[in-house]
Amino acid sequence: MLEVSGLTAGFGTLDILHDVSLTVASGEFVGLLGANNAGKSTLVNCLSGLVPARRGTIRLDGEDISGMPPHRIVERGIVQVPEGRLVFPQMSVLDNLKVGSSTRRSQLGRTSKLEEVFALFPRLHERMEQPAGTLSGGEQQMLAIGRGLLSNPRLLMLDEPSLGLSPLFVQTIFRAIKALNTSGLTILLVEQNLNLTLSCASRSLVLERGKIVIEGTADELRQDPQTRRAYLGL
Amino acid sequence: MLNPSFWTLLRSPVPWIVLAVAVSAPLWMSPFYMSIAILTLFYVGFAMAWNIVGGISGLLSLGHSIFVGTGAILTSALFLNLGINMWLGVVIACVISALVGAVISWLDYRFRLGHLSFALITLAFAEVFLLVVLGTDFLGGASGLILPNDTGNFLQFEFGGGRGYFYLSLSLAVFALLVNLLIINSPLGYFLRCIRDNEDAAQAIGIDLLRCKMVSMAISGALSALVGAAYGRYMVFIDPYLFAGLNLTIEVVLVATIGGLGTPFGPLVATLLLIPFGEVIRGHLGGVLPGLHTFIYGALIVIVILAMPRGLVPTAQDWWQRRRRRGEAAQEKPELQRGLKPPTPMED
Repeated sequence: MLEVSGLTAGFGTLDILHDVSLTVASGEFVGLLGANNAGKSTLVNCLSGLVPARRGTIRLDGEDISGMPPHRIVERGIVQVPEGRLVFPQMSVLDNLKVGSSTRRSQLGRTSKLEEVFALFPRLHERMEQPAGTLSGGEQQMLAIGRGLLSNPRLLMLDEPSLGLSPLFVQTIFRAIKALNTSGLTILLVEQNLNLTLSCASRSLVLERGKIVIEGTADELRQDPQTRRAYLGL
Repeated sequence: MLNPSFWTLLRSPVPWIVLAVAVSAPLWMSPFYMSIAILTLFYVGFAMAWNIVGGISGLLSLGHSIFVGTGAILTSALFLNLGINMWLGVVIACVISALVGAVISWLDYRFRLGHLSFALITLAFAEVFLLVVLGTDFLGGASGLILPNDTGNFLQFEFGGGRGYFYLSLSLAVFALLVNLLIINSPLGYFLRCIRDNEDAAQAIGIDLLRCKMVSMAISGALSALVGAAYGRYMVFIDPYLFAGLNLTIEVVLVATIGGLGTPFGPLVATLLLIPFGEVIRGHLGGVLPGLHTFIYGALIVIVILAMPRGLVPTAQDWWQRRRRRGEAAQEKPELQRGLKPPTPMED
């Protein structure tokens, strides 16, 4: 479904990503691991069109989407749940979810998508009228995921959904992500939490200083001595 | 697609009562207060037009004199120099203002201007616009333009005396307020609020930043030009420093901010309070000690900003809600006490 080849991107004169290539097949659950500053968020932002690609191509079902503005990419089904959640604090939970379906394609099935999200996170239904800023961190993460789902994604990219959450919420969130994948949604999960990611993802990549250094299944990665090294950034 | 709260507001009796009282104003108002009312209503129009960009989208535009000026000056210049009917001139000015607004938004998007840069760029554009007006004879130059006497010929964009202009300014103010409410309760309004809260998040969830910003700026620009043209016709003398100068924009921004940004009601209420207040103290104190009214006006604004940094309307809303909650709590208390059993002495 998603084919990235030779992707180089960065800010100003600095390149963050060097020649990154990866593929994500339809229905897959891919983990993207790496230490801080490895370039994980830049990669996700690049796929979303928020950071322009310097070189290389990003293809979605054969169509080159590099250089497209972000809203066109969302329209084609690649949606990210940004790091730090970034919900709109003054808007109600319901409105936050509704603005998630900003594209024409997603507005048609909005009601059924809303019901889907409320079934996945009943907590959001309880707090529907509350301003999003009054939610706890975990609830905000649920909201950010729900908002992403409302744009009717084909590939959902989650940038560090466990960031700053209590272990209990991390479990809830990951169970939900797993359930989404089981129901057929393709997932690209960016995480620092190694064990958690390996236990969910069918395949994982490790990014180190803007390059993909290891790729494999959970078992392969667990046994690879390089994982630990790359992960700790030594 | 509209949020149901829009229709609830229209169905509530309050706006209709206010409107009925306003419509009857020429029957009981003295000419002095009528002129203040007309001025205030034009300012409401400007404030509402600015609010689409400054309040709803959170872009601090200091360049709205471009649109107001285009509305007043270009419309008059086209009429005086080329004989183009002012109604047509208004349409031309609105279209040009919308285009200029869209271009400014495009620049903001293309060069990723932050809030401060956006404010400064629009300010710079406004300065350039004033210089262009002052240096162009077609637009009246530094001496301005004088429109012919108003004979009340509606087809010539003439509205007769004070009563005509009162109803003109009232309908423009109501129209501008309606445009605000329509935007706020439409998907565009939600997207604009997302952009205001967090541009990156808005982009990440697929909101078309450029389109939303361009549309909001174009609507705001066209609306400013429309009100500007009407204000110009009312004033008869098109003073470039009044219409293309920065003072008018600054005053609108100041008043809107004091009212509280976010909903159109903040700027609306503040304009309705402060503009008449400024005019009345000028009328009564201007002759006593020159400058005294400006001093009082300024001091009051400083006090309001210090005491209510979020603005008049949000502060009042908070106060009202807190009061109501306290009222509910007070009502619940006796019930709670009734439910509790009095402590009974233990028996052994």
